[in-house]
Amino acid sequence: MRALVTLLLSLAALLLFLPGPARSAVVCLDCHDRNQFTNRVVHEPVREEQCTRCHNPHVARHDGLLMVREGRLCYSCHDQLPNRFNRGHVHGPVADGQCTVCHDPHASAGASLVNEDLARNCLVCHDKLPLEFKYAHAPFSKGACTECHLPHNSEQQGLLKATADELCLSCHQPESLQAGHQNFPADPAGCLTCHNPHGSDRPGLVRNVLHPPFEKDCATCHGLKKMQAAVCLDCHQGVSEEMMRIHSHLTRQDGNSCLNCHSPHAGDDERLLRGPLQQLCVSCHMDVIEGYRLSTYKHPAMQNCGDCHEPHASNTLSMLKGDGIEVCARCHESQGAFSHPIGEDVIDERTGQAMTCVTCHNPMGTEFAFHLLDDRGKGLCILCHKNY
Amino acid sequence: MLKYRTARLSNIVRARRPPGRAIGERGRGLSASPRSCSGKGDGRSPGAAPMMIFAALLLLLLTCGPARVSADDSPWQWTMALKQNLLKDSMIMPTSLYIDEEREQYYVVDSGRNRILSFTRDGELLTIFNAGRSLDTPFDMVRSDDGLIWIVEKGRNSLTSVNLKEKSVQPMTLRSDGALLYPDRLEYHDGLLYVLDKMTGDVVAFDLGLNPVRRYACGDCIEGFIDFKIHGDRLWALDNPGGKIVVFAMDGTVVERMDLGDPVTYPYSLAVGPAGYIYILDRQKRNIAVYDKNGTYKYSFLRYGFARGEMYYPTEIRFDPWGRLCVTDEGNARVEVFSR
Repeated sequence: MRALVTLLLSLAALLLFLPGPARSAVVCLDCHDRNQFTNRVVHEPVREEQCTRCHNPHVARHDGLLMVREGRLCYSCHDQLPNRFNRGHVHGPVADGQCTVCHDPHASAGASLVNEDLARNCLVCHDKLPLEFKYAHAPFSKGACTECHLPHNSEQQGLLKATADELCLSCHQPESLQAGHQNFPADPAGCLTCHNPHGSDRPGLVRNVLHPPFEKDCATCHGLKKMQAAVCLDCHQGVSEEMMRIHSHLTRQDGNSCLNCHSPHAGDDERLLRGPLQQLCVSCHMDVIEGYRLSTYKHPAMQNCGDCHEPHASNTLSMLKGDGIEVCARCHESQGAFSHPIGEDVIDERTGQAMTCVTCHNPMGTEFAFHLLDDRGKGLCILCHKNY
Repeated sequence: MLKYRTARLSNIVRARRPPGRAIGERGRGLSASPRSCSGKGDGRSPGAAPMMIFAALLLLLLTCGPARVSADDSPWQWTMALKQNLLKDSMIMPTSLYIDEEREQYYVVDSGRNRILSFTRDGELLTIFNAGRSLDTPFDMVRSDDGLIWIVEKGRNSLTSVNLKEKSVQPMTLRSDGALLYPDRLEYHDGLLYVLDKMTGDVVAFDLGLNPVRRYACGDCIEGFIDFKIHGDRLWALDNPGGKIVVFAMDGTVVERMDLGDPVTYPYSLAVGPAGYIYILDRQKRNIAVYDKNGTYKYSFLRYGFARGEMYYPTEIRFDPWGRLCVTDEGNARVEVFSR
């Protein structure tokens, strides 16, 4: 009997000191300021003072003593979301499971726990977008990014809510557009080839740099010829010569492959690109970017595809800007001097070709450290050094 | 017309064989060799202990299991590689293969070194030809019945004829419907040259005077075609972003369309096998997807890598007249030959 009483008392004492849901916040908030967790909208576990639904009070593998990795942790309750968020174009933080880039996990003044100033929040990452324009689109100046963009994923490029033209026409009535496009040969369409949806230095949000033929005489291009890439290449002789390389982006695509990336009328800079370069590349090479994103180890500074790849044409593999050493050596100046020998005198016996950086590394990402093609402990070496 | 200055065969260099190894030496397949299952005894007396009999039975079971046909469970086995083994003279980005059935020779277009290498049917390097160093980024080639060699030169944007007897080279730009063509892939069939135009994505047939005769176009393809082959009096063309094959009768009418579906992500080249099976090279997956005559997916084989039988940047597939499947791999600078 005495033993039973002792056992019951011990169990009671143990329960008392365990970080149970009802008690966890009481202990936590002894140290953590309660004001940090109060706002107009409070996350349910915080409101119920169940800190341990997300945090381990003693030790954890993840920052903030999270029980499991961010994203996975959120989806453990919000379990319908992964299936909704994996379709079409997925916003980077969503794809990487970094919910707290936009959402405050404890409390926020914004609905859905969105961090307080949504527009400012967007511009933290989208920092190449100017904060101010001489002429700004009203939703942009209001910071209402979500009037046009979806925050998680979309079937449209740029996470647009609908096609660009559909979005424009949802506010701008066709009658008013006709009035502003007196000499336009057809119903106004392809709005973004001339207009910047965020803002510009020109009235009507017309993009800053105009294609000279567009400025002077439409008939320069809109003549009798078919609007194939040949029309562009007639003037752009340098690009025409580039097309005489082994690999090129010259295709018939939608009638004129130049127009996949360039606007024939106006652009934000001299290149007259239809959007940020990486966004343009992704529009066709989605699988490549997906592979990069899902890789455990990848080249860290992959902000601009054009840093390593030729956009028009190349005589090298993957349309790189040089061979497998030249491209890397522009940044990694001394790498060849102290690592595994590379260059013309070092032959990969498997292929009979010179060893280069890409013989061992894949900068687009792999499952191995330093984006190596295999485990650096041994696996990689024995691909060539069989007796190692 | 350019005359290339040569003594007899001076620019058709007989290649030296690297010491200690025969070029084109046949190797074993990717799999273990088939094992002997003769079931013959090992000379021990029939009165051996039951334990020995059990062990022998176990050994027999282990050794006589079904022989694996390949690492990918496909019926294709690596047979040989067409490549240049000389140090610092390996091919750079070979882009295509032409096979001369009459001469039983392979010709590999070495675009990076501006030359063409010929090999015997057994894979032995025969000659290295550079037309007096006049070639500029050759990409594809065929030989016509009159003995002329026709080479697509990307660097000149030309279809270049090479007359070996006269040792002359004549680059010519192609036009059709008034528009300049950007030649890409090239085939020869029944006295006509078939050229894939990169600008339009159409295949245009020319007579040997380079007059356009016929056009094979895909109205509903986004980019036009990326590759084509002629097989069984049909022109088979591959639509890359659309993921489909368009089959034309030789008069230019479309007779069939086949969707490739999910097994391929970046179809880059196609070939039709002797039995009518369709082979699709996937450049991104570095494998080949096989479909039956009806377009039903059957299996895929090959994988990414640099070792024998592996692909880095495969660019073209083609069957030789002896039923072997040849894969030109730009990245690994060789043509891998597989047989069943």
